[in-house]
Amino acid sequence: MMSLRRVFTLAGRIVRQFVRDRRTMALLFLAPLLVMTLLNFVLNSSASGATLDIAPAGDAASAAVAQKLHDALNGQNGITARIVTPAQVLGDLKDGTADGALIFPPDFGSQLQSGTVTLSLTLEGSNPGVAKQVQGMMALLVNGIAASAPGANPAAPRITIAPAHYLYGGPQFTQTDALAPLFIGLFSFFFVFLLTSVAFLRERSQGTIERLLVAPLNRTELVLGYVIGFTLFALAQSVVILLYVINVLQVHFHGNLALLFLVTALLTIGGVNMGIFVSAFARNELQVMQFIPLLLVPQILLGGLFFPVKTLPVVLHQLAYFLPLTYANFALQDVMIKGFGIGDIWPDLAFLAGFAALMVLGAAFSLRQDRL
Amino acid sequence: MTTPAIPDPAPIALSHVSKTFGTVRALTDISFSVAAGETFGLIGPNGSGKTTLIRLLLGLGQPTSGSVRVLGFAMPDRRAARQIGYMTQASALYGELSVRENIQFFAALYGLHGRDLRARAAEVLALVDLADRAASPVQTLSGGMRQRVSLAVALVHRPRLLFLDEPTVGIDPELRHTFWDYFASLNAQGVTIVVSTHHLDEAARCHRLGLLRFGTLLAVDTPAALRAQSGQDDFEQAFLYFAQRPQEVA
Repeated sequence: MMSLRRVFTLAGRIVRQFVRDRRTMALLFLAPLLVMTLLNFVLNSSASGATLDIAPAGDAASAAVAQKLHDALNGQNGITARIVTPAQVLGDLKDGTADGALIFPPDFGSQLQSGTVTLSLTLEGSNPGVAKQVQGMMALLVNGIAASAPGANPAAPRITIAPAHYLYGGPQFTQTDALAPLFIGLFSFFFVFLLTSVAFLRERSQGTIERLLVAPLNRTELVLGYVIGFTLFALAQSVVILLYVINVLQVHFHGNLALLFLVTALLTIGGVNMGIFVSAFARNELQVMQFIPLLLVPQILLGGLFFPVKTLPVVLHQLAYFLPLTYANFALQDVMIKGFGIGDIWPDLAFLAGFAALMVLGAAFSLRQDRL
Repeated sequence: MTTPAIPDPAPIALSHVSKTFGTVRALTDISFSVAAGETFGLIGPNGSGKTTLIRLLLGLGQPTSGSVRVLGFAMPDRRAARQIGYMTQASALYGELSVRENIQFFAALYGLHGRDLRARAAEVLALVDLADRAASPVQTLSGGMRQRVSLAVALVHRPRLLFLDEPTVGIDPELRHTFWDYFASLNAQGVTIVVSTHHLDEAARCHRLGLLRFGTLLAVDTPAALRAQSGQDDFEQAFLYFAQRPQEVA
């Protein structure tokens, strides 16, 4: 007979141990906020360094086009545009005042008449991210503005760029918005896994596991007690991260909070049981750490946190679909950014539930080893 | 549920018990029984099988052959758990939690709750003379104090049967003496105790002793009888006598 009283006695003990352990509490609740804040700065300020020199030729037409380009680009996506003379360009690129330069040909006027204008773009190039950004921006803009310049060939098509439509997100949508859901998943999974495996390791090394196994407490109650205790903390952690990213980092959130908790809870159940399972293969805390590159780093790299899953090479792409964090990421992004409901994300939930079930079996199996 | 077990004349009865781990024989053909209210000592060097034997009695595993009956149940059987107290070799407590919290946590696992739980926790705290340290985190206590908490935890649910795996390792002679006085008073209340030790001076305070070596039981008898049989006054000498004797006599 399973006794809920025993389950909650165990869960209560885990909560109590946590509350006593100030350092772990700080790790659980402050570390994610620190990481999120740093990321927010890194992701959203890196582009603002991009400076583009625009160097028109001497004629009036190129000066007018250059001015139009300058007005269109300056301040867009963190780009600073400046109008300079062609002679200044090389110096600016070398000393780092500019990241790229758009140089007008000396015969700009006659090229415009013929309908084909070739501007040359020189990039500083040591930061590929900045280079790509500038390049992409140029390709879109030059076309439209050159066509509408005074004295342009009337036969040439006028190309204008209409303001973009957003299916999800919006023009104010930043990298932090896109990544916040993924970090909620990562933090709950990572910390729960780490803390459970260490907590369980201690049960074994200090001998309390013997007392638990000798007591009238069965394995189901033991696993359930752990799951409840840790899920409580993972949910509290998600609430703290969510409050922080919404109110302080101004991240956009359109989703259903209950659904977000459901995803986190499923992920946590998987994480707790993976921790119990893995702790059976570790003799000390250091050996638990050794599982991180094996079990967590691939999930962080392939799960969509750094590179979208779709853009991964084929083999890795398929591998990503075996990792629980990938599904948690899909589900959390769908819930937080796209406002999807349970009907849309149930396949992700089903995978997470399957993973949790598999890990529960693993945990139960590893607990058998504690008997003779 | 099932019918209650028929009261067994002996709380512990082992019959031809063997246990092997892979190819290693940990216990070979062990048979003995322990009577109610008795303190039974398991004596033997490290690796002689004392802990394996106690773990089988606790139901932490299955004998490879033979039968282990505890309180009328064929072990392993979870139904015996509620009436068994276990004091492990290490103090086995949660360092971050206070003395009282440790005791109350295990008491709750054994089904105590409410007023009974608090009263019983206070009772065992007083018994091991730690009432004034009840609120201290266990990690701030000395080794001897931790062993006292460990004993309090093993007793809190009023077990009929108490297993003590080297209970006095690392504690001072005075406290060891106190522990043994307490074990005697538990015996008087009908509690059966199985204790493993390699302190030979403690062996003298057991009612009967089982001498274990390489997983075989060399002899089972009262301390006085064992001394008489070996012709040695000293237990160390007596143990050596039985260890060197041809095996089939055991």
